[in-house]
Amino acid sequence: MPKTIQNKREAQAWQKHHDATAPKVGDAAPDFELSDVHGEHTVRLFDFRGKKPVALIFGSYT
Amino acid sequence: MSLRQIYETYHKDIQFLSIYIREAHPVDGWWLGKGAFSVVIKLSGSKATLDLHDPTTMEERRSVAGQCEEALKYGIRTFVDEMDDGVNEIYAAWPTRLYLVGIDGKVAYAGGLGPFEFKPSEFKKAIENYLVEIDVSA
Repeated sequence: MPKTIQNKREAQAWQKHHDATAPKVGDAAPDFELSDVHGEHTVRLFDFRGKKPVALIFGSYT
Repeated sequence: MSLRQIYETYHKDIQFLSIYIREAHPVDGWWLGKGAFSVVIKLSGSKATLDLHDPTTMEERRSVAGQCEEALKYGIRTFVDEMDDGVNEIYAAWPTRLYLVGIDGKVAYAGGLGPFEFKPSEFKKAIENYLVEIDVSA
């Protein structure tokens, strides 16, 4: 399991590392399948292709 | 415009997905709940001083995600990234980020790195422009 970021330096390093390969405008959005907060209902990004645009809002509580 | 307002305005045209990822400022990580600066953060309304440990199991992560969903009241269903942070890493999402994926499955908008480049107003504009674009080409 990835470790918890401890400070600003680690945060910036993490972002720099992963942003280099993150999807840019025009790129195919990487597919994923995730479950909801109850571990029940799942969603797959590809299921919306051809149907509806998808807004992805990433975040946490803190 | 807040994310909730953006959702309320566009949810009929856009599928909104809230994705809960690794905590930004847990107590056992880069916690901002100590020191003089913590007072300023608390007063700003930020949750970065919350006494919250980074979940170590999917059960814990879902529990915190549920609390987050309830507290934010976006009205958007929340989905939870797996403990390997797979989706978080692919989208370089931590601590917070916005994307718009077009009907063709391609990225129509990729927000900047959070927190400072997390811009709901820019996101709203991107949504508006995209909806006009697909309406024109229809």
